[in-house]
Amino acid sequence: MAGKIIADTLEHSTAGSIATNYVVDGSAKSWVNFNGTGTIASRDSLNVSGLVDNAVGDYTCTYTSSMGNSDYVNSSVAMCEDANARGPFALGVRIDGTGVPTTHTTTATRYEYLYGASASSDGGTQDAPHLYIIVHGDLA
Amino acid sequence: MQTPEFQGTHLFDRLCWAKENLDGVQSDYRVVYEDSIDECAKILVPDPNWMACALQGGILPPVWVYWELAKDEAQPDFKKHTRGYLLHETEPMPAMTEEEAIEYLIQKDVPQHVWKTWNEGNKPKMVICKKEQLPQTREWRNAWRISDDLELAA
Repeated sequence: MAGKIIADTLEHSTAGSIATNYVVDGSAKSWVNFNGTGTIASRDSLNVSGLVDNAVGDYTCTYTSSMGNSDYVNSSVAMCEDANARGPFALGVRIDGTGVPTTHTTTATRYEYLYGASASSDGGTQDAPHLYIIVHGDLA
Repeated sequence: MQTPEFQGTHLFDRLCWAKENLDGVQSDYRVVYEDSIDECAKILVPDPNWMACALQGGILPPVWVYWELAKDEAQPDFKKHTRGYLLHETEPMPAMTEEEAIEYLIQKDVPQHVWKTWNEGNKPKMVICKKEQLPQTREWRNAWRISDDLELAA
């Protein structure tokens, strides 16, 4: 590509320097903002090929440029009205009964949006209109 | 806009170029599929920025590249990808139509055991439809299945 600069270090005039691998390794490799209600749809994204609506509050995000291994990290936030009047709510990587991620491969991650149990009933999954996901790690 | 010559450029850099230069394309197509008898029907939604890349051409690698990487990842001793260069150095796909892009996405993101045998068995395991054909509310979402009575176009 035109305009390429090759440098190992960025140096500020007074505030010190930083190795460029901090920038490369520390940048998000994928992100998406999507609506998980109705017919789910992405509002904006980077390095996402598609979203899968698996069930209520259960979504898979797939990547275009694959991650280098499956040890990457997912950060996620979700916002919705507290329809069940209880908490806490959390959007996280979906796990099976043994605590192992259901899908956390170099090309896809499966997420669940969960609400907490109350004294009298179990927690469960819920759809949310604002779901934000960021992925950090190494690309293939 | 003309796509730069991208063969040999890291795929992530191509996606960043597309993000800066192409408008996202919201497709009306959806792919409904069933990959487990224990789970309800799933719905694959193409990403608008990805669809823009597919329609533009010269950005996305051929889908077989993902199959090769998936084979590597399926090995029991897999630690990390050592053939990531396939994503970056293989000649990119030319511009696709929206329908061709959906076929590509199916072969990339839907499990192979579904799309390779989608019409074998008692009923179809996968259907491409328009989003207007899906239920308009999510009532009983966890019980959605592909209809047993579905009539397929020839």
